[in-house]
Amino acid sequence: MLERMRPLAGWLYRRGENLIVIMIGVMFAAFLLQVIFRYVLNWPTGWSNELTVVLWIWIVLFGAAFIVREEEEIRFDLVYGAVPPRVRRAMALLSAAALIGLYAYSFPAVYDYVTFMKVQKTAYLKIRFDWLFSIYVIFVIAVIARYLWIAWDALTASTSEGFDPTKASSGV
Amino acid sequence: MLDPFTLSLVAICVLALLGLPIGHAMIASSILYLWMAGLDMGTAAEQILNGLYSGYLLLAVPMFILAAEIMNAGTMTERLLHFCNAVVGRFRGGLAQVNVLQSLIFAGMSGSAIADAAGTGRMMQKLMTKDDKYPASYAAALTAATAVIGPIIPPSIPLVIYALVSDASIGFLFIAGIVPGFLLAVGLMGVVAIDARRKNFPVEEPVPLRKLPGLTFRALPALMLPVVLLVGIRGGVMTPTEAAGVAAGYALLISVVIYRSVTLSQFYSALLNSGRTTASIGMLLAGAMVFNYVVTVENIPNALSAMLTATDLTPTQFLILVNILLLLLGCVLEGTTILLVIVPVLIPTAQALGIDMVHFGVMAVLNIMLGLITPPYGLLLFIMTRIAEVPLRDIVRDVMPFLFVMFGALAIVTFVPDAVLLLPRLLGYQG
Repeated sequence: MLERMRPLAGWLYRRGENLIVIMIGVMFAAFLLQVIFRYVLNWPTGWSNELTVVLWIWIVLFGAAFIVREEEEIRFDLVYGAVPPRVRRAMALLSAAALIGLYAYSFPAVYDYVTFMKVQKTAYLKIRFDWLFSIYVIFVIAVIARYLWIAWDALTASTSEGFDPTKASSGV
Repeated sequence: MLDPFTLSLVAICVLALLGLPIGHAMIASSILYLWMAGLDMGTAAEQILNGLYSGYLLLAVPMFILAAEIMNAGTMTERLLHFCNAVVGRFRGGLAQVNVLQSLIFAGMSGSAIADAAGTGRMMQKLMTKDDKYPASYAAALTAATAVIGPIIPPSIPLVIYALVSDASIGFLFIAGIVPGFLLAVGLMGVVAIDARRKNFPVEEPVPLRKLPGLTFRALPALMLPVVLLVGIRGGVMTPTEAAGVAAGYALLISVVIYRSVTLSQFYSALLNSGRTTASIGMLLAGAMVFNYVVTVENIPNALSAMLTATDLTPTQFLILVNILLLLLGCVLEGTTILLVIVPVLIPTAQALGIDMVHFGVMAVLNIMLGLITPPYGLLLFIMTRIAEVPLRDIVRDVMPFLFVMFGALAIVTFVPDAVLLLPRLLGYQG
């Protein structure tokens, strides 16, 4: 069952990558147009300002939920990278359990907040805030699912990759 | 029973130690705090979403990363290396000097030490170790050390993040980074010059001086980028965030139109890599937004400020303490985390002691960047270990002299605020 879903998951992942590329690309174009419109054509640019911020929220949360790979996450890996795989699996299981518990417990409050925001719209593009912020609900669900999978993986130990510090972080 | 705040602090430490990504560790622990304190847990979502929505300055991060990705994809890097070689290759240890000079020039474009090490650093490593010109560990140590210059010279992603947490002017922060950046470069060049004589490093074949104008002209579009950015920001033509977008646009323009070197698929992966890095840094920012809310609710920064000012601490003593604290934290924590979580707590005290916010920011960022090459836990050292395929302890041994002069530069930056603030004041900074 899980094996048969693998090509589908890979296909979905590549479409997710496409989406991130489109969002970054549109953001990039919007910045350039914004500067050009304001100084060359003297047009107001409030809408492009807002568009870039909307894209930024979606890039971060969508990317964090679906695109960032485990080895790209910024983590404190001094201990994690040094312990034997068995201990690392136990650590992964514990932290996943804590994360799933807390995210799931707070989920109703998060859902309430996001749906409550339907009363407001953004200033220029008139996007309802509950639509704009809906990515956070998707993000929480995806993260819970992801950590359920990580916990399951740690329990069954189907993968036991070595630890590579160069891929461990993507800081600045 | 622990109070909610202590509990959440313990939770962050435990979760991070267990290897949970730091962003998630901060979000989860903040949820725990809200729950234990009987507050609305939807606040976590509210803080993150509103923080991201109003953090317009942060949009500079994906654009600066994109600019670096585009430059690393094209032949811009090569041209600049030719230019550097023509200038300093003729000296003993020429390639090592090229390594320092290129980092100074590239610093004017990428704003990220990690991007510098992985992009131009990889190339320098290959050049320096070809035909066994330099020991691999020496080349790797030097490349790690020069990559630190990147985020000190504008543009700089860490300075953007500092501007966000401190409300200091990003334009003046950028300008204030110039002198410290040159200090680092001069110090490193000095060490290289001494090493070159002592270890008898090779000289590159001198490029005739009459060829220099031509090479300079070919590299000129790339060399001009920092100037375009600073004039644009200071002249009020564009916001710093827009400037980041313009930097990426400029890089794309000269790569495609003038240098004809970036393919469509390279552009695609530049966008994708920028998106990936943005999302993983963004997660950290999101976590810091909720956790900083918790810290503010608990009134920690002001309590610390009141406590420290009551002890008659002088500004100099405070700066020394901050430097020690940041260096120790830098040994175990990743830089952005320190900048987002620890530095905001220190800012009210610095303000109460009359320390200039621009000076404080440049000092803090320089310190945190040195943490990237300070053993035992320096991310740049790890990256170079992997790129150069030499043992970490050899790189650590060779990085020590560089680290020593860089700490000298940090001392100057700490104790001579005028050196940092000279350029900003010339350009109208009131501080």
